Amino acid sequence: MARMKALRDGLLRWVSILALLAAWEMVARAHVFTEFLLPSFSAVMTRLADDVISGELLPGIGLTLYRALAGFAFAAGAGVTIGILIARLPLARWFFDPLVSIGLPMPKIAFLQIFVLWFGVFDSTKILMAAFSAVFPVIVSSAAAAEGVERVMLWSALSLGAGRRHLLWEIALPAALPQIFTGLQVALPIALIVEIVSEMATGGGGIGDAINMQMRFADSPGVFSGIVAIAIVGSILVKAMELIRRRLLVWHPEAAR
Amino acid sequence: MTDSGIFFREVSHTYRPPRGQPVLALDRVSLEVREKEFLALLGPSGCGKSTLLYLLGGFLPVEAGSISVAGRPVAGPGPDRGIVFQNFALYPWKTVRQNILYGLEKQRRPRAEREQRTRELIELVHLDGFENSFPAQLSGGMKQRVAIARTLAIDPAILLMDEPFGALDAQTRALMHEELLAIIRRTPKTVVFVTHDVREAVYLADRVAVMSARPGRIKEIVETRFPRDRPEDVVRSPDFAEKVDYLWQLVRDEAIIAQGTRTP
Amino acid sequence: MRYAPLLLVALAWEAAPRLGLVRADTLPPLSVVAHAWVGLLVSGDLVSQGLSSLENLVAGLALGIVVGVALGILMAWYRPVEVLVNPLVRVLYPLPRSALIPVMILWLGLGAASKIASVFLGCLLPVVLSAYNGARGVDQVLVWSALAAGASRRRVLWEVVLPAAMPEILAGVRNALALSFILLVAAEFVTGQRGLGYLISFLGEGGVYDAMFAGVITVSAVGFFADRLYLMLMGWMLRWRE
Repeated sequence: MARMKALRDGLLRWVSILALLAAWEMVARAHVFTEFLLPSFSAVMTRLADDVISGELLPGIGLTLYRALAGFAFAAGAGVTIGILIARLPLARWFFDPLVSIGLPMPKIAFLQIFVLWFGVFDSTKILMAAFSAVFPVIVSSAAAAEGVERVMLWSALSLGAGRRHLLWEIALPAALPQIFTGLQVALPIALIVEIVSEMATGGGGIGDAINMQMRFADSPGVFSGIVAIAIVGSILVKAMELIRRRLLVWHPEAAR
Repeated sequence: MTDSGIFFREVSHTYRPPRGQPVLALDRVSLEVREKEFLALLGPSGCGKSTLLYLLGGFLPVEAGSISVAGRPVAGPGPDRGIVFQNFALYPWKTVRQNILYGLEKQRRPRAEREQRTRELIELVHLDGFENSFPAQLSGGMKQRVAIARTLAIDPAILLMDEPFGALDAQTRALMHEELLAIIRRTPKTVVFVTHDVREAVYLADRVAVMSARPGRIKEIVETRFPRDRPEDVVRSPDFAEKVDYLWQLVRDEAIIAQGTRTP
Repeated sequence: MRYAPLLLVALAWEAAPRLGLVRADTLPPLSVVAHAWVGLLVSGDLVSQGLSSLENLVAGLALGIVVGVALGILMAWYRPVEVLVNPLVRVLYPLPRSALIPVMILWLGLGAASKIASVFLGCLLPVVLSAYNGARGVDQVLVWSALAAGASRRRVLWEVVLPAAMPEILAGVRNALALSFILLVAAEFVTGQRGLGYLISFLGEGGVYDAMFAGVITVSAVGFFADRLYLMLMGWMLRWRE
């Protein structure tokens, strides 16, 4: 019964999306807005297909993805490490806590020009910018996760003969993984957005740069198709993270339903 | 011959919260636990009985007084003192089998021996068929059985139990009492069992040490050994009711004190 | 003191370029930056660009909050609204908000309108979702007892659902606040006309790095203090909760 309901909901979702796309197409064709303001769905999709075939779109997406994922990887590595240090070393907590609580609500995109000054307009700038923006939620969730590990779990491991090193890698990290992973799931879209905005502001190839160009040339279908491409890439990444989560955390109570 | 019991000598412990005043949790507790004896630590909430257990387990440092096990002072956690917690403390990302295996792996026992022992234990606690289940899929009673099996796997001489059945419903608890006694009968161990349930203490233990409200001291020790050939008879014997009554009076006074001094 | 490490960072910032550990043109000493900041303030640039940014931000954010809360609650309360709006929300949710900036520029040009629209659309979704979840999560018992007491559906909406959904709505608005800063700065980088984001790029391209750093610090500080202020406001509004 539950499966039937899930199926029905999924179907309903697709139906409503299709209805929305159909509405888009009809409104566009009825020329309620100009071609420029609202190119029809079919025009945008055709343009998208053209760009893919002509070999323009995919390398751009690849470049953007590469930078975003590289930035995300740095943010993940640094963030988890710092987060765990904060939880375990009072000195690390004393040092990082104020920095993180200040950094979290700051619009870190403002630092883009500083990064450009330091590293030029190349890949490394964008990667570092993405990493800088994405690292904060990872730190916060990793620190909370490491702190939240039940001490009785650690104690039982100690009495079973675990050494300090075992405690960290075999007990604390797996126990903290669900919350750490949630932080990673928040960080990935951030890395992607910041990467794209960096491209829009500083050029250098990639989908953000392409959209910026198309915007300047008033290439409306181009801009729309670029956005559709980003939306698709974005949802694929989010879905991928969900799938990874389900596999990694197959033991978690939330999956046992 | 070295004395192989457990000796608490004038053990005090101060609890230092990150914010607020330090609190004296234990006040010069002296106690002897004889070898292979089942001792219950009984007292109201906050009396420090769990703290005493954690000190014995080596999870908290002994700052005042001394605790010795088999003639040697306690210097940290060890495989000679296995512990079972109220909320099971199972590793949720490991299956039942993997949980039980953990201690055996840490001891680096040969693979065949590990597998054999794990199988025995799963049978012992009646969890056949659930070897590959995750803790999230088990009931409370089953989880506690896994916790017990995991602790017994490395065959500790001493078993520390911190209100192990507190999170279970009354029926499961009664069943677990029987299982625990059966296990102890098969492989005798020294057991230190913390509880606030008077009947449980009287039923399971050979001796019950009643603790006062905070700061914890040993108020009185009562013998509660019963002949075990017919367990149903134990509960019905007048002796049993008498002991429960007596201990309940002792605990009740301390519980009232504990309620009064409880800080919100 | 809790923020002592910041002093350490400030000291390092001052010392490192002066000691030659980093090049003074890539990282001007803190005192030089502070001096440049005062210069920007006095010349009026900081204030005029800052006000321009703030205007657009507040306009877009306010619109986003009002429309978002209204939409979210209506969606939770009236099924036809939900059926209509849900697919739109689902499609737009995975879209990175800043991707809408070029579209806004395309439609509304490089002026204030596109920036306000970018902020508005970007903040809309988180607010809609939190209002929706907040309204749906309202304890049904509260609703039923109000209806049983004879209140109309509309009154129940205003007097029961909205207040009960407040905590969640306020949390969503906090996210929207942070997002609004990001979107505004991003939009200003891309449009390059007015505002603090534009000022920063302009100074950067002109090589006036000390003032550029001053600008970046200003933007970050405003974002930080806005969040703090909002937390205080949120705490005050939710003071009836434990």
